[in-house]
Amino acid sequence: MIDQRIFEDLQTKIDEETTVRDELHDIVQTLARKGRSTQAILSRAHSTPTDQIKSVLDDATVAIIAQKQDVARLKAVADKHPFYKYNNVWSRELQNLVSSIELCAWLGGLQEYKGPDSTSFMTVEDVGKFLEVPVNLKEQDAFHLTIEEYLLALISMVEELSRLAVNSVTLGDYERPTQICNFIKEVFAGFQLLNLKNDILRKRSDGIKYSVKKVEDVVYDLSLRNLIPKGSAA
Amino acid sequence: MGTKRSWQGQPVTKDTEIMTSETASPIVSIFEGFRNELDQHHDRRERIIKASRDITALSKKMIFALQRVRAINQPLPPKIAQENQARLDQIKALFTSIIPDVTGINAWRYQRQIGGGIQEFIEAISFDHYLRTQTLISHAEVQAQLPAEILVTGDDYVMGLFDLTGEMMRFAVTALSSGNASKPDETETESTDATRKLPHLSATQAGLVVDVRAMRAEFEALSVPARSNMMRDLFKKVDVMQSSVEKVERAAYGILVRGSERPSGWTPDLSAPVEMEIH
Repeated sequence: MIDQRIFEDLQTKIDEETTVRDELHDIVQTLARKGRSTQAILSRAHSTPTDQIKSVLDDATVAIIAQKQDVARLKAVADKHPFYKYNNVWSRELQNLVSSIELCAWLGGLQEYKGPDSTSFMTVEDVGKFLEVPVNLKEQDAFHLTIEEYLLALISMVEELSRLAVNSVTLGDYERPTQICNFIKEVFAGFQLLNLKNDILRKRSDGIKYSVKKVEDVVYDLSLRNLIPKGSAA
Repeated sequence: MGTKRSWQGQPVTKDTEIMTSETASPIVSIFEGFRNELDQHHDRRERIIKASRDITALSKKMIFALQRVRAINQPLPPKIAQENQARLDQIKALFTSIIPDVTGINAWRYQRQIGGGIQEFIEAISFDHYLRTQTLISHAEVQAQLPAEILVTGDDYVMGLFDLTGEMMRFAVTALSSGNASKPDETETESTDATRKLPHLSATQAGLVVDVRAMRAEFEALSVPARSNMMRDLFKKVDVMQSSVEKVERAAYGILVRGSERPSGWTPDLSAPVEMEIH
């Protein structure tokens, strides 16, 4: 005898889960839409001379703060459920946002949110403070930014910076490629300290060395022709 | 033993080495923190995968033992019951060993890693439950078999039941061919009263066919949205389940129609693949 109630209960559970998933998905879609416009603003950096970058950063900051509100909405809903049950619904978009935040900060925006000792980038704690979300929770089951998400965001930012190194030269800024080179080499050295298993983090971080090489080539070309300004952070 | 010196000739002591690593770029010290965190995560993950594999292997052995049972709706033969109890104890010990890794926030984190073991375990205990009672084990009964810290998700439960249909199929096909199908009792009266002497399955055999068919109907009635996690494995499972049910139906038909003609010891062909590889 097969008890029908078993399957009725299952259907109820599936339906409940679907409701939660849909609710989260709606918020994430808004976050994604705004994220695309944030990225569009930030990509203007590739065609904006360094001395005029401020207007790009101001626009980007406004867009990022708009996204921050969606993160707050997301947090309110997600906090009601086990974190890792639904984490995959928003993980990707949260990474994109963190990557935008990091890029904006590296270019000189969001200065007031950088910690005292971090130099050019925002630490995971800085990002958490800015977004007003906890980071790296180990005991408490609540919405937070994970280390993996933060690291993946850094990788996206490095890829974007390696493109910016090339475009900076086109815009006549011969100093920025050197700064980018120093920074992403440091990040690369950081990633080399990690014991990565065969997961997404491993696959994505394998790409950093190509970004490093790309920027090193630019710096090499410039230094070969004595184009790097004296006294820059080479 | 020589002293390690720096290029200026100063002896390099441990202290200065630590000093330099501390004064290294902030990124490096941050990443050292990340490394520890990630290492812990990978260690947990590996312990869980290992336990899950062992649980899967033990559960499979339980299922093999249960397939040697011939009677349904009665207590298991003592020898098989005893063997499986030992395996069950081992499985529970394995689950207990990973409790620290899957508590609190990590309950859902390693679902993909432990899910395989849990599903195989559900397949084993639901088959055991079915053989003893001819009913389906409920989600709550499954959870009650395990330490409370081990999370049995609805998805795992459904997947376990899907696999159960495969075991029910094997059991039913063997039961159908093991010869206790009622035949028309007297061959000589065959020509006279057609309706009374139609062959029919014994109550046990008919019950098995009804049950697998009912499970198929219930599974097909479930509506699972495309976005759900369950969707990932569902298509394959539904296919396998449907073909299992059809095998039982065909076996029942074969026994019913040709049962009296088959040589003794004949069993239906089960060589077609019925089970999916567990990755």
